[in-house]
Amino acid sequence: MLSAHATERRAAQLFADHRRDIHVRTDRLFAGLMLFQWAAGIIFALWISPLAWYGAVSRTHVHVWAAILLGGAVSLFPAILALLRPGEAATRYIIAVAQMLMGALLIHLTGGRLETHFHVFGSLAFLAFYRDWRVLVPATIVVAADHFLRGMFWPQSVYGVLIASKWRWVEHAAWVVFEDVFLLVACRRSVDEMRETALRTAALEQEVRTRQQAENLASLTAAVGLALTRGTAIGPMLQHCADALVNHLEGGLARIWTLNDSGHTLELQAGAGACHALDAAYARVEVGAGAIGTIARRQQPLLARTAAVDLPTCDPAWTARPDVAGFAGFPLLVDSKVVGVLAVFAPDECSASARDAFATIADAVALGIVRDRAEREVVRNTRDLEAARRQAEAATRAKSEFLASMSHELRTPLNAIILYSELLQEEAADRAEPGPIPDLQRIASAGNHLLEVINGILDLSKIEAGKMTLSVETFDVRALVQDLVDTVRPLAEKNQNRFTVEFGGDVGVMHADSLKTRQVLLNLLSNAAKFTSGGAIALAVAVDPADEPPAMVFTVSDTGVGMTPEEMAKIFEPFIQADATTTRKYGGTGLGLTIASRFCSLMGGTIAVDSRAGHGSCFTVRLPRQIVDVDDDVVIAAAVV
Amino acid sequence: LPHTLASRLGLRLATGLWLTVIAVGLWQLYAYENRPGVAATAPPSWPATSGLTLATDRPTLVFVAHPQCTCTRASLADLAEVLTRVPEPPKTYVLFLRPSQFEAGWAQTELWHTAEALPHATVVRDDDGLEARRLGVETSGQTMLYDSRGALTFSGGITASRGHAGENAGSTALLALLTRGAADRVASSVFGCPLFAPNE
Repeated sequence: MLSAHATERRAAQLFADHRRDIHVRTDRLFAGLMLFQWAAGIIFALWISPLAWYGAVSRTHVHVWAAILLGGAVSLFPAILALLRPGEAATRYIIAVAQMLMGALLIHLTGGRLETHFHVFGSLAFLAFYRDWRVLVPATIVVAADHFLRGMFWPQSVYGVLIASKWRWVEHAAWVVFEDVFLLVACRRSVDEMRETALRTAALEQEVRTRQQAENLASLTAAVGLALTRGTAIGPMLQHCADALVNHLEGGLARIWTLNDSGHTLELQAGAGACHALDAAYARVEVGAGAIGTIARRQQPLLARTAAVDLPTCDPAWTARPDVAGFAGFPLLVDSKVVGVLAVFAPDECSASARDAFATIADAVALGIVRDRAEREVVRNTRDLEAARRQAEAATRAKSEFLASMSHELRTPLNAIILYSELLQEEAADRAEPGPIPDLQRIASAGNHLLEVINGILDLSKIEAGKMTLSVETFDVRALVQDLVDTVRPLAEKNQNRFTVEFGGDVGVMHADSLKTRQVLLNLLSNAAKFTSGGAIALAVAVDPADEPPAMVFTVSDTGVGMTPEEMAKIFEPFIQADATTTRKYGGTGLGLTIASRFCSLMGGTIAVDSRAGHGSCFTVRLPRQIVDVDDDVVIAAAVV
Repeated sequence: LPHTLASRLGLRLATGLWLTVIAVGLWQLYAYENRPGVAATAPPSWPATSGLTLATDRPTLVFVAHPQCTCTRASLADLAEVLTRVPEPPKTYVLFLRPSQFEAGWAQTELWHTAEALPHATVVRDDDGLEARRLGVETSGQTMLYDSRGALTFSGGITASRGHAGENAGSTALLALLTRGAADRVASSVFGCPLFAPNE
């Protein structure tokens, strides 16, 4: 919205234009009237007294020459002025004098007829067309002077009588002044109405301009928003913003600087309008230097109605440019940190709404700059992560290759060692030479343990590599459990444990990987038998219909050594046992529970533990009764976390 | 035009010159209109050779006019004013000049018809101005009044200036003579076209 000052200036301009237009038009009217009166006088003279006679000889009458020459002298000069210098005060004053002289001539030529005096009053009314009361002054003076002089020296030519009072001119002048008063009032009222009309027009223009500005600013904001969201690089993005600022501001120029990494220098990134070269003056501005640097240092907007007057820190050569008047500069701030400066130079004073829009745009541009920097950071990080991922994949491949190699290179001789130690045991037994048998048994036991460790590592590696497969089949749960009982019962009884199995109703069949289910349960039962001595081991099997889909729940509990909460927290991590002495005391690889946990996850189930040190443990395995939409031997990579 | 100093001075100079030209023109016009014609050398007694008849029971008024002279309109108007105001109108002759080179109808102008409408007036065509010459008249609008005995009592013009009707010294004197038999003046300036060219 334009300020009231600007509206008043515009109203004054409109008023002056209107008044000048009236003066010019009235000048032209009088030019026509003058020429008309001149022509009419000539015609009148030719009609009334074309010839003067000397007996039988005739000549052109003096009145004809007077009409041509004197009438021309009176009429032409003001008519020429009206055409060459229309609208000027001198022109209308001379026209006023000429019109009154024309009236005086007419009164004289008619012998002071009363009726021709109305020419004076008509002329005054016509002069009021100027709506300038001052023009009546010379006209009135001419009338009064004419009546005074002729009334004094030749009253018959002005009053039509031979003898007249020497004050009669006052009476005539008074009647002229009488009319002047009304014409003056009319002129004043008319001028007041013109002023009021100008003010209303200016206000209307202001309203229209405000609306246009609002529309412009809305479209500007949209254009800047579009530029900021579509921009792929900071330079083009800011250039689009600068272009939008200029295009929607009807001229002027816009510039955007960003603070470089040093934090001390503003670098010109975009410029649009009259001066758009990025390598021109002010391509680099030190923070604190000049108007732009001051904005960055103070972190405050700098607004100027007239840049040349209100910006003492600005280059005078710059502010004196014709396309630079209003100035609005805004720091580009994000979290109270300057990232740049946006400056707009407009041909006119920036309105309040425009300044508000600039502030909003400055915020958006600042966010755009920060977003761009963040995006570049993300790209850089993504690139680093990609490199890291490739390195990890290479390491994984190397590990897999290593494990494959280990599988082949270690298990082959290990199997040979185990096999040969067992053969040597048989030979020693056959020869009845028991001496080496214990050593051979130790060799076979160590070999088997090592083979178990290697197999565990291979399983874990396959799981982590996402290459572990499920062999899904339908099997009878009770038969699976019975097979486990047959396997585990000797182990349980070896430590004088009581082993019980309980089925909660008809457990039916499962559609899952029976081998991995068996391996999970065998691991839990083996651990229970291993860590329980003279106690009880129980396996409970039941279907939990509350789960969706229904789950098969296996619960393995014992009355063994149990675990502390700290131990429970890490028993599913690889190569971790309850404490360091466990391996020495109970053996094991430290991979069993880890693999069991991963198998449960692989099959879509869970494994949980509850234990108290010295009071035994309880492991609960929940497995889906039916693995849905999984074909046999499918790689379940996604299920592995 | 640009508002230079020279322009402003030029405008003032032109305005001054303009006003001067108008003043000179008006002055010339006034001078022309106030310049009297050649006064008549009217015979103090009614000329015996005159073709006109002197009235013996009342004054005889002779008004000589150029039929084409526009200035004489005012004189005729003033004469009409005088004749309508006197209780006993004089015997009135209105002579209209007709040079011999013009046909008879040349003299019968609007002035002629105006004169015919005057009360108790006789309109006479004066071929070649013979009668005017007898009466010593040189200028249109010349008015002469002879009493019943043939004595000249007034000779002059009855307008204040050329072509300007209205109260004036000549008509006032004429009216006084016709109403009271005496006047402040017996002569006045005459304003009108010359009846004869200088070489005639």
